[in-house]
Amino acid sequence: MSVLPQQVNDAEALRGERILVTRALCRRFGERDVVRGLDLTLRGGERVALHGPNGSGKTTILRCIAGTLAPTSGAIVVCGEPGGSLAARRLIGLSLSQERSFFMRLSGRANLVFFARLRGLGKREAAREVERLDEELELGEILAERTDRCSSGMLQQLAVARALLGEPRLLLLDEPTRSLDDAAIERFWNAMERRKTTAALIATHLQTDLVHCERTVDLVG
Amino acid sequence: MDVVRAFAGRDFAIARSYRLPFILDAFFGVLQLAVYFFISRTLPEAGAKLGGAPSYFAFAAVGLIVALVVQAASEELAYQIRNQQLSGTLEVIVAQPLGVAEFCAGAAAFPFVFALGRAAVYLAIAAGWMKLDVARTSWAGLVATFVVSAVALAALGLLAAALVIVVKRGEALASMAVFAMTLLGGSVFPISSLPGWLQPLAKIVPLRFAYDGVRAALFRGAGWGQDVLVLLGFSLVLLPLAVWVFGRALRLAARQGSLGQY
Repeated sequence: MSVLPQQVNDAEALRGERILVTRALCRRFGERDVVRGLDLTLRGGERVALHGPNGSGKTTILRCIAGTLAPTSGAIVVCGEPGGSLAARRLIGLSLSQERSFFMRLSGRANLVFFARLRGLGKREAAREVERLDEELELGEILAERTDRCSSGMLQQLAVARALLGEPRLLLLDEPTRSLDDAAIERFWNAMERRKTTAALIATHLQTDLVHCERTVDLVG
Repeated sequence: MDVVRAFAGRDFAIARSYRLPFILDAFFGVLQLAVYFFISRTLPEAGAKLGGAPSYFAFAAVGLIVALVVQAASEELAYQIRNQQLSGTLEVIVAQPLGVAEFCAGAAAFPFVFALGRAAVYLAIAAGWMKLDVARTSWAGLVATFVVSAVALAALGLLAAALVIVVKRGEALASMAVFAMTLLGGSVFPISSLPGWLQPLAKIVPLRFAYDGVRAALFRGAGWGQDVLVLLGFSLVLLPLAVWVFGRALRLAARQGSLGQY
């Protein structure tokens, strides 16, 4: 029996549902406007690339939507819930810069199980969820290894797996293919393809990522 | 509750992964007990000034053990948040669907349990090896006093952690505050030895009630109830306040964009 994510019966209904809306989103750091009036709508099943050079505000936008950075002005709504609220955070899977976001004394598996439990899964459920992602993304030794012994590419795969825990409705992914080898990149995009009703906002400056996205939002530095 | 267990399990696994400091920590506590044991042998018996303790060693051992519990329940929390800032895990935890109270309870769980475990070990060593008299001890009173002391002081830990979130490096201030309270509260000398103008302040320091309660339960087996009630009062006022302040600190850091900074 496959343990890969099942298609929900009403996938067609969920596909196209408005998942993320931002209106006039602004974020200023000191005198510098990093994000200026961003209007964006993402529907279920849609993948949108935030494309732009370093410093153009890609990660800032993801942080604002994730709720770890407050916008200076503007509105964010995730499936009808105000951005940053507990309900909105429950719907989001996030992957930011990976080098410093794991408990480095713990194994990949212990890290994923911990974060799965923070997302409301019981201990056994969390372990099963990690097994499911292991099978889908072929994490293998990454789960067994202590994370301070993992390479950047291994941590990147682990970060993507963490974002997928609990099958969130909205994925916020910051340069998800960075440091990945070809096989891991293929597994990543296959995983995205399988999630027909999930919306994904992907920050990238790689042209090779853009071909996998339906739309591109170009940001200027 | 499952979230709290997840935090505690994570912290235990991390603490266990550093085996040598784990062992050294226990050894350091025994060493401190030994210092007061030998000091006690050079001092004449101080009698009534020691709050019912049969010897200076008995008096100081309680001070030391309670101070270790308090340190673990308060400073550890601030250090833990600081470590998460440095390791970059704080932002990713804040992005999870956790309420502020859940986050606080989770972060405080392991330091709290570890502190109580450590107190039990030191007490066993002091009783078994250094002949600390526990013949009249009220064990229920002892456990109750330790638990409410750790809860009341965990609130101070949360306040220190909130400071760390906003100004970074705030854990040094937490250490200083706990050390000052330890001295003022009567850990290794009775507060009657303090200058007269300091004694009124010493009498309202929460730690004083922890020391008095533990000494009463340990050496007299009675008279700890009032101290437990006062500590409960501190907990009821301080804990919700500390959770609120912690939440405000997280919001302020999100506004400043400093959650991922160190």
